[in-house]
Amino acid sequence: MREMVNNLYAYRQLLKSNVKKEIRGKYKGSFLGILWSFVNPLLQVLVYAIVFPYIMRIKTKNYLIYLVTGIIPWTFFVNVINQGMITVRTNDSIIKKVYFPREILPISVAVSGLINFFISCVVILLFCMIGGVGISWHILFLPLVAILQFFFVLGIVLALSAINIYIKDTEYIVQFFTNMLFYATPIVYQISLFPEKYQRILQLNPMTGIISAYRNIFLYHQVPVLSDLLYLLIVAGIIFICGFSIFKKLEKGFAEEL
Amino acid sequence: MSRQKKEIDQKNDIVISVNNVSKTFKIYSDKPSTLKERIVFWNKNKTERHQVLKNVNLDIKRGETVALIGTNGSGKSTLLKLMTKIIYPTEGNIKTVGKLTSLLELGAGFHPDFTGRENIYFNASIFGLTAKEIDARIADIIEFSELGTFIDNPVRTYSSGMYMRLAFSVAINVDAEILLIDEILAVGDQHFQEKCFAKLNELKNSDKTIVIVSHSLESIKKLCKRGVWIYEGQVRMDGEINKVIDEYLKVCG
Repeated sequence: MREMVNNLYAYRQLLKSNVKKEIRGKYKGSFLGILWSFVNPLLQVLVYAIVFPYIMRIKTKNYLIYLVTGIIPWTFFVNVINQGMITVRTNDSIIKKVYFPREILPISVAVSGLINFFISCVVILLFCMIGGVGISWHILFLPLVAILQFFFVLGIVLALSAINIYIKDTEYIVQFFTNMLFYATPIVYQISLFPEKYQRILQLNPMTGIISAYRNIFLYHQVPVLSDLLYLLIVAGIIFICGFSIFKKLEKGFAEEL
Repeated sequence: MSRQKKEIDQKNDIVISVNNVSKTFKIYSDKPSTLKERIVFWNKNKTERHQVLKNVNLDIKRGETVALIGTNGSGKSTLLKLMTKIIYPTEGNIKTVGKLTSLLELGAGFHPDFTGRENIYFNASIFGLTAKEIDARIADIIEFSELGTFIDNPVRTYSSGMYMRLAFSVAINVDAEILLIDEILAVGDQHFQEKCFAKLNELKNSDKTIVIVSHSLESIKKLCKRGVWIYEGQVRMDGEINKVIDEYLKVCG
């Protein structure tokens, strides 16, 4: 672990230019450019804002803001997974020819996702202001929750990007699971819809705690629930350590397997 | 007491130490890369094992310039890749001390759409340099490459010679303590080759450790003092360069 911190420091320039490439390169050549990273989730919000209240008859107060505060953090999660999973595979040409700390690749995807998320938070704040919810000092908790989410998703992506080199199916399996997880997280519905028993199960999903913490910050103007944060801290810690050791174990074979 | 200290000093002076290293590659007749193939053909995976290196031991001291020679497929390049940590040994271990740069394939990590200048930054950052360090060297790198105004054109517009000149200039200017070079003394035209040669000579005299894999025996004779002959994955001979080359030519020439 300490070696990783040293490595990251020594190769900070590579990390920096990789993050830049990740943020700028993704939408290079498209008309709206980087704006797509905001437009995409907003279009998704639009779809759900039409589908759920009118067709499914879901009635939630401030439903639009409820959706935005759920979908934007979810986009952060799912984008990092989708891009991070393939990052080792798509950089095969440099992996085969030069040595550098391989973990730089998934880490730069996660960092660029985090930066993108912070920028997207401006969109959330705009919705809060226009929607009449306003902004409160609880926003100070935002970095804490975002960093917990960062380590959670980084752990997942470290493991998946390495496994994906050995088993190509990982990409497709994971896509199915993230789709399932979307509906197992209270993003478009409220958790109180379910009986107590099922709520407990949903609470086990770390994304539930993460998104409800964001909603407390932006929508309800409350301090995030301490027990939720503690649970997140433990889960994110475990996932990160596991993901990192899986990556370290598998990285030695990258150049040969690619 | 003093003897003990001398021993430690000698130990510290070894910058590359290869201990009992063996490397086996798996050769799949049909590589299973999807889960289905792995499950369905679990008993059909014909993996042949091909041992490239067998129990290699090699110590290289600080400031030495060593040539690895041998026929094609003898394992020279694999040994170099192991030293770079691109691949890892099946058995044994390799320790290196200090910053290491490798020139295995020129222009690894060049992005064709970026300009030469941008690629210098990207390439040098792969070698672990910070922006400041690159800023300090960029003038030298551009001058050495002799690319002139082409430096601000995208790399995809370069000729292969220009491409290699840029790559060589970056790698040679990153100030690594150990430089691993695989068969690239044939960079560019006669003039540039001589310049590279002079630069390597300069590095050699400045306490850098250099390991070269090459088939151009005449040039490595001039550059290196020590030769290591790798034959069928083993060190067949290790010693003074002229003697090693003579012996090598007797058997393989």
